[in-house]
Amino acid sequence: MKKVLVADDRATGRELVRTVLENSGYEVFEASNGLEAVNQAHELFPDLIILDIHMPGLDGFAVIEQLRREEHFAATPIIALTASAMMGDRERAMAAGFTGYITKPIGLNALRAEVARLIR
Amino acid sequence: MPDERFRLLLEAAPDAILQVDEEGRIILMNRVTEQMFGYAREELMGQPIEVLIPEELRTAHVGHRAHYRTRPSTRAMGTGLTLQGLRKDRSRFPVEISLSPGSSQEGFHATAIIRDITERKLADDRFRAAQDRYTQKLAETNRELELRSREIERADRLKSEFLASMSHELRTPLHTIIGFSELLGEELEGPLNEKQKRFIQHIHNDSMHLLDLINDILDLSKIESGRLELRPEPFDLTAVVTESIASVRALAEAKSIALETLLDVPMAIEADRLRVKQVLVNLLSNAVKFTPEGGRVRVEAGIRGTFVALSVADTGVGISSEEHESIFDKFYQVGATTKGVREGTGLGLAITKRLVEQHGGSIHVESERNRGSRFTFTIPLRK
Repeated sequence: MKKVLVADDRATGRELVRTVLENSGYEVFEASNGLEAVNQAHELFPDLIILDIHMPGLDGFAVIEQLRREEHFAATPIIALTASAMMGDRERAMAAGFTGYITKPIGLNALRAEVARLIR
Repeated sequence: MPDERFRLLLEAAPDAILQVDEEGRIILMNRVTEQMFGYAREELMGQPIEVLIPEELRTAHVGHRAHYRTRPSTRAMGTGLTLQGLRKDRSRFPVEISLSPGSSQEGFHATAIIRDITERKLADDRFRAAQDRYTQKLAETNRELELRSREIERADRLKSEFLASMSHELRTPLHTIIGFSELLGEELEGPLNEKQKRFIQHIHNDSMHLLDLINDILDLSKIESGRLELRPEPFDLTAVVTESIASVRALAEAKSIALETLLDVPMAIEADRLRVKQVLVNLLSNAVKFTPEGGRVRVEAGIRGTFVALSVADTGVGISSEEHESIFDKFYQVGATTKGVREGTGLGLAITKRLVEQHGGSIHVESERNRGSRFTFTIPLRK
């Protein structure tokens, strides 16, 4: 079973993504902040990571910067999840090394499609 | 000229008039001269003209006089200098002097017309002082304005940051409301009865409506505070029309509304592609929304001088002429919407109008009740 790590500081946000992805047949793990996300990633070596950009402490950008420095996570698909609707945010995320970008509120099918596209 | 008339002429002048001979001795003077310098006629007649100027200038004046004798002409004396007269009581006053040469049987003489400019100097000084005060005041005002504009900039930046974070904060809970209602509606967690399904649909619809409102308010506040920056780029308008139509196709098909386009040649224009598309999609979704089943919506585009004109025409409910202006106002909503269509925010046309105008174009509507509407907007071909 493919492993997906979801990092979001809001429990409801994590549960939503977890439910959708479990229904699609993935094994889902949760992290409630950036530091947890980094630790979980090292423990689980997930096949895909979904990172909320906006988290207290280590935010999504800080997490991906740390992970991408390690050879093991160089090619891991990592999706940015953000509630910000500012122009240029997507470009910024892609430049930081994210492989996918989803804005909140998510369309469930958009989430399913993006995960399916990136996980192999 | 008879002596008497000559004398009257001399006395009628408001200035001091003096004549000096070759040696600079006063040989003629009028009464104004007496009053101006405080001497009696007898005291001055035959005296060197230098008695009327300050001591320290007398020697030089003798030289000037000799020079004038060699190059006599009618001219102002000491152009650009402040000349001073000396009264009998040793007081000084500013004067303006014009000179003219002459000659008679007695030989060369020079006439000096002397004007006391004390009043004018005072007025000048007062004027200059006022000017200085004014300049100073202006500088102060400028400093104040600069300060205030910096405050405004700061307030504007805070407002912008506030809006961005508010939009973020509002979208975060909406994200899960919309997501979970969609999830329940999919019935993967178990079947719902008809009523539950309908209620879930209401939650989902209203959440989406709230999302539209947040997006529109953010857009509008950006436009109104002048913070919406257009990003002009060259693009193919035909492609944007096609994409815009695609985004309303599902809605149109559900109501059996025919979507037509009549585009004049493929058009490349330079404008903000996303915003032009936003305008088109907005007009198109309005058109589909307000057109009954089996109707028709048509997009036309053509060149008008240095502009491209795009119009979206429908066979819908139309807009009465009294409403032609107010439909572009914020939160104005045309009464009857057709059934089964997502509620609008009342901000779409207000945003549309501002986006068009920020591009340097204009928008207007032609419509009659029950005769359909045609919205036409123009965008400059080049930015």
